[in-house]
Amino acid sequence: MRFVAIETATAASSVALVEGSEVVASARRIDRRGHVGFLVPALDFCFAQAGWAHAEIDVVAVDVGPGLFSGIRAGLATAQALAGAAGVPLIPVFSLDAVALGAATGHRRIWAVVDVRRGEVAAGPYRPVPGGVVRDGSSELVTAAKLRATLESDASDALVVGDWKALPVDTLVGLHGVKTGRPRYPAAAAVADIARGRAEKGEVPHPDEVRPRYMREPDVTINWADYREEGPWA
Amino acid sequence: MSGPIILGLETSCDETAVGVVRDGVVLSNVLSSQVDEHARFGGIVPEVAARAHVEAIRSLTHRALRDAGIHQLDVAAVAATRGPGLAGALMVGFAYGKALAWALDKPFLGVDHMEGHLFAPTLDHAGFEPPAVVLLASGGHSQIVHARAWGDYETVGETIDDAAGEAFDKVARFLGLGFPGGPAIDRASEGGNPAAVEFPRALADRPTDLSFSGLKTAVVTYIRQHHAAGDLPPLADVAAAVQEAIVDVLVTKTMNAVAQTGVRTVAGGGGVLANRRLRQRLEEACAARNLALYLPAPVLCTDNGAMVAAAAAFRLEAGERTEWDAEVEVSLRLG
Ligand SMILES: [Zn+2]
Repeated sequence: MRFVAIETATAASSVALVEGSEVVASARRIDRRGHVGFLVPALDFCFAQAGWAHAEIDVVAVDVGPGLFSGIRAGLATAQALAGAAGVPLIPVFSLDAVALGAATGHRRIWAVVDVRRGEVAAGPYRPVPGGVVRDGSSELVTAAKLRATLESDASDALVVGDWKALPVDTLVGLHGVKTGRPRYPAAAAVADIARGRAEKGEVPHPDEVRPRYMREPDVTINWADYREEGPWA
Repeated sequence: MSGPIILGLETSCDETAVGVVRDGVVLSNVLSSQVDEHARFGGIVPEVAARAHVEAIRSLTHRALRDAGIHQLDVAAVAATRGPGLAGALMVGFAYGKALAWALDKPFLGVDHMEGHLFAPTLDHAGFEPPAVVLLASGGHSQIVHARAWGDYETVGETIDDAAGEAFDKVARFLGLGFPGGPAIDRASEGGNPAAVEFPRALADRPTDLSFSGLKTAVVTYIRQHHAAGDLPPLADVAAAVQEAIVDVLVTKTMNAVAQTGVRTVAGGGGVLANRRLRQRLEEACAARNLALYLPAPVLCTDNGAMVAAAAAFRLEAGERTEWDAEVEVSLRLG
């Protein structure tokens, strides 16, 4: 099976073409912006490298967040178009799952972290198992203080991976049994790996069900303080 | 009838819209309006708009293709609005359109939203052609363009503060009429006397530029004073007078631009051009001066995908292509 994986939910963007379990071409860059300019040239480059025709694919996999809102949407819109043009399934991947999979070694409980800005990160616990990781609790948006408190109260040795550098420098200092590690960002290859597992189990959603997972409501600030809700005729 | 079939995507603001056009004929034109989603906030929220676009773009594109009775491989080129507009909103249609074009091995065209509005009148008026003065007015933009030829445009006047549609929105909110303001004021003004109140017409010294923020203040002041004095005219009169002030400014400045440029053709585009009083006043003004007037049907005045496809058809024929690494341009400017 040929997978196209798209990852633009974080400050690192990547695209990977995977055949079976082998990455046959990939492209990556670090930038919080410019996802829309990166994606098609990266795909174009990878398809040329691999010698694949645009429609000769079996699955499109995409990171749907949490992460940078615009990046998530650019990636999803691109993935929707590719899957639709080729008439193949579109499989959504949770960004924390992809980060955690990249750290699937050792015995420590893995805390995957993705920057969602405004002083918060998305964080979720994972447990390493042979061949990967499994979720070991629920994911949520937390402040640095909340994450620190959570790690402090967690008795197991922890490995914090992902964009923990987005947190204030003292967030993880002096915590007993807590180490930090890589990867810093989810990779398209990990997105493809997760999607392959789902595809093999037949877990293929309807394309309309593939939605961003922002984990945060939009900020709504309309400043019309000098206007009344209702006019004098109301 | 064998010209190229163009798929046009429009996501610059609060309408997800997709159209299919061939040889200037609209094969389909569908949209998923977000009005209800924004109405509860009293205005357009950029993040809400961007979220709604990504939920709608895929199925809407499929619907447009189905309504047009074509397969995606029949499309000769895919076009999407590149700007101006809201960054997060633009990105959805632009990313989707670009990837679709690439995946189908077709050319991609990033289209200037305002050029799309300029092409809208061609879709229901075969005779429309530059040179023309075109009034473009909506909630996000208000300008008067001198189109010398296709692709050769000069902005001869524009708003120095609020857009005309924004003025409608803000006043409507103050009057308790809700969002969006244009249609609400249009409805509320029915049977009202537009001469009941004389609201100010700004920028008399700048013949083709527009300004609406003073009007908003004048309405607020007027209503507070007369409400306090207990002699407030009926809502229909005030709504009609507000509408008249906005329409009057738009018509006067457009006619000034006609005089300045010497063209004999007038056209319009943008959501405000769906306003019935504005259409009537433009018809009267053009008839009095013997000018040809081309106003698109209201569905082609508001943002739509067909206009994007129409502008793209012209660009495609001129041999243009948009590079794969192109980004949206929030402040794209027409001439
Ligand atoms: Zn518009």
